[in-house]
Amino acid sequence: MLRECSSDRFDVATAGELSMTKQETNFKFLERFDKRVAELAKQAEEYVHTDPDSCMFKLRLMVETMAKKLTSLQMRGDISKDLGSMLGALERSGTIPRRQADSMHAIRRDGNAAVHGSATPPPTAMRRLKEAYKISGWFCKIIKRGSKVKLEEFVPPDPPTPLDNATIGLHGRIDALEESIEQRRNETRESLVMFGPDEDVVQVTRRIKEELEALDKVAAAAGEPVIDAEFVALVMAMDLEQIEEDPRHGGDSRKARRVAEKQLDEIKQHLADREREFLEERTMLMKQRDTMQT
Amino acid sequence: MTDGETPNLATLWFLAARAMAIAGEDMPVVQEAATGLYAQAILGLSEEECKRAKDADHIINKTLIDCLSGLRNLPTELAEKVITGVMMISYADRSMRPLEVRWASMLASAIEITPDDFQRCCVNARVIASMLRPQGSSA
Repeated sequence: MLRECSSDRFDVATAGELSMTKQETNFKFLERFDKRVAELAKQAEEYVHTDPDSCMFKLRLMVETMAKKLTSLQMRGDISKDLGSMLGALERSGTIPRRQADSMHAIRRDGNAAVHGSATPPPTAMRRLKEAYKISGWFCKIIKRGSKVKLEEFVPPDPPTPLDNATIGLHGRIDALEESIEQRRNETRESLVMFGPDEDVVQVTRRIKEELEALDKVAAAAGEPVIDAEFVALVMAMDLEQIEEDPRHGGDSRKARRVAEKQLDEIKQHLADREREFLEERTMLMKQRDTMQT
Repeated sequence: MTDGETPNLATLWFLAARAMAIAGEDMPVVQEAATGLYAQAILGLSEEECKRAKDADHIINKTLIDCLSGLRNLPTELAEKVITGVMMISYADRSMRPLEVRWASMLASAIEITPDDFQRCCVNARVIASMLRPQGSSA
């Protein structure tokens, strides 16, 4: 249950800075930025112990509402209404940083799993609730530029009744499993992105740019023509249209698409299989909990 | 070579891909996610190989010259796959800048690919880029 309190957790400080003061809900501060998102967050918070699946539904809807708002504010063009695609587009456009995107995807995944009948353990719901809290602070700064939102440490809502030692132990194991799942997901992600976690991206980028410019000068000095990129791109585009229409190359491109689609599908299937394994591990622990409770 | 060893395929791929993305100046907004996916799906690299290649201590001393000379030593089919992937990154943001054209030209020269084969790689790259292309663009 949420702790009761007579007033808000937040004060509006001078210069628009917000700070939390007292505990009622962790998400009170959201109300002044987006009432709908605030309402969903508070509902998720209320359900976290009593109905973790509903907590995940609410969190997923909260993330979807955030994504739609960010899309309408920051993006143009025909954006898919599918949450995964929306988050992908927002991330690729640089609107959502990697850390926030990871948390939003995690909520989306667990929300989807709950919708499809995979029971959500309370520690998982609590973990996602904490992530939603952190995302909320960032979200407020994005939708209202110049806002300073100072988040206090997240206060986990208390369970309605105290947990016995066996349940506490099992929840600890579920949390450890979640931690290992997060770690494996991070490793997959690190393998996919362009730079390693310990690399100084700015420095590496600068160095490669300098190398490219130096090589360009060497090429020019060696008599290679100065490049008019727009012209080259135009010629290439026109050539490509012709090549793609050519039966010989058209055959190649169709084959390439089939091969690439098959290979991409295999990788996606591999990732999906791993997600399914995670869920199976989690479901097994939930069954243990149910057995203990009966 | 800067450290006396030939960069492996994973290192060559990430060097070549980064150079193209940086030449395009919008890096890593559009191309980032496609880089590892291509490495694993098309080049057949494992997660571990991709991670090891991007280890800061491993890749920090590798230059684009190392990349060009490493590519020259790859079997033709593999080198063409690398070029295809690099061109996919270039096409991903639907524009080409002078350094992108220059880098593509240097890669093509390094593996001594024929104009016909290069065009075939470009067609394939465009096909794959269209599969990975995000919907919409940032405002």
